[in-house]
Amino acid sequence: MFSRRFDMAVKLGGAAVGAVAGIVFLVIYFGVRNDVADVGYRPEQPVPFSHKLHAGNLQISCQYCHAGVEVSGHSPVPTTQTCMNCHTIVLPESPQLAKVRESYEKGEPIEWVRIHKVPDYAHFPHARHIRAQIDCQSCHGPVEQMGVVSQYKPLTMGWCLECHRNPEANIVGARPISGVFTGQMHDMKDLKDSTYIYKPIAAQVQESEPMVVPSFGNSMSALPAHSVAGIPHPKKAGLGPENCSSCHY
Amino acid sequence: MSMNVPRRIPYLVLIAVGAVAVFVILVLSGRVTWFSTQPPVEFLNNMDHNRKAIPQSANGFFADRRSVRDPIEGTVARGLEVYPLGMGDIDLVDSVNIDPALERTAFVMARGQNRFNVFCSPCHNYDAKGNNRITTGRGQWMGIPDLTREQTGALTNARIFHIISAGQNLMPSYADKIAPIDRWAIIYYLRSLQGDAALGQ
Ligand code: HEC
Repeated sequence: MFSRRFDMAVKLGGAAVGAVAGIVFLVIYFGVRNDVADVGYRPEQPVPFSHKLHAGNLQISCQYCHAGVEVSGHSPVPTTQTCMNCHTIVLPESPQLAKVRESYEKGEPIEWVRIHKVPDYAHFPHARHIRAQIDCQSCHGPVEQMGVVSQYKPLTMGWCLECHRNPEANIVGARPISGVFTGQMHDMKDLKDSTYIYKPIAAQVQESEPMVVPSFGNSMSALPAHSVAGIPHPKKAGLGPENCSSCHY
Repeated sequence: MSMNVPRRIPYLVLIAVGAVAVFVILVLSGRVTWFSTQPPVEFLNNMDHNRKAIPQSANGFFADRRSVRDPIEGTVARGLEVYPLGMGDIDLVDSVNIDPALERTAFVMARGQNRFNVFCSPCHNYDAKGNNRITTGRGQWMGIPDLTREQTGALTNARIFHIISAGQNLMPSYADKIAPIDRWAIIYYLRSLQGDAALGQ
């Protein structure tokens, strides 16, 4: 009915439209999904701070700078004062640290660019996770190997729940470099009255019950016998809660 | 009819297209990380970002854009224990820094070790002998003392509490980072490292 050329043109045009639509679909479908879009976000920071140098080579533990993460929901970005603890003496003239010195003298914070963020209607309490002896690496990846930090895990709800339901497969247990307190003496000295014994996370998970109904008053429960008021005692690691109000409050 | 069929199939083109397609699919499915300095594109932001003040963020509500406010003059945050002495008030340490004399259980000692390794070991080293890993071989920070020497062992607990809380010469204050009870745990642990030199306890 139609000429052969026209027939060919229709076929090619159709194929082209199909291909373009397919690519657009792929880009949008995957592009709006945070697990793909957010991972790999590696913004340029105002000061070229290297976690690889400080945490990796120098073995300064995460909590030296991010102190307070054990007791607060938010993991604090260190004050400029923290940098100056060492950099008054170490490399005091370095041009790369000019912004740090300026911030210290003027008392104005350095505007670090935020990488990890859960939506504002969801809460990730750091303290609760740190005290369950979950290593920072579980969510942030091997930061001590990153020259420039990038987002490593998707931080989507599906990802959270996957770990709450199946922590053994996803949790990295506390490592000395992170400074997470396990209540266990790492090497050095063994005390005679070693009554508090750290149990590996896998073993703790075995004993825990799924938490699917809201439960209240956990934080009010009594301190374990070995604990001391004021010292954030490690809590049992186990299945995470799955009820909505645990994170959306 | 079949005259128009290409005589040879363009293998190279096919392979190239295939490789690109595989790469695109791998990146999009998150199997290869695509690094970007640009913030992720959000087609629908689903109320992810409210205009509330979240900790340590910029917030246009305040003139200086800081969501973290300085305390109102003359006030102290609830539960915050401010260390009352300055670096030079050495004479007052014994009356102000009262040792709670915690029982030195494995838990308390483990806490002391944990906090010591986090906060003190960068300069004083894990064994408190002072050959720190930050400046070793670079000659940048001389004069970090060996805390296991007798002179340090002779310091009272209250005096060491003062050094941690207010600093001493080039050693900065750690009052903002270490809770008072943890400072005592650190001191007990330091005493155990000092061994025979620990005269002051
Ligand atoms: C940033 C490096 C640094 C860190 C971290 C540090 N110190 Fe020090 N410390 C020093 C320096 C430098 C001196 C010597 C001060 C001086 O010259 O008087 C010192 C001195 C001391 C002294 C006095 C020793 C003496 O004989 O006079 C004690 C005790 C002490 N530190 C304990 C600690 C404890 C406990 C911690 C952990 C909370 C700690 N230091 C963390 C750098 C540090």
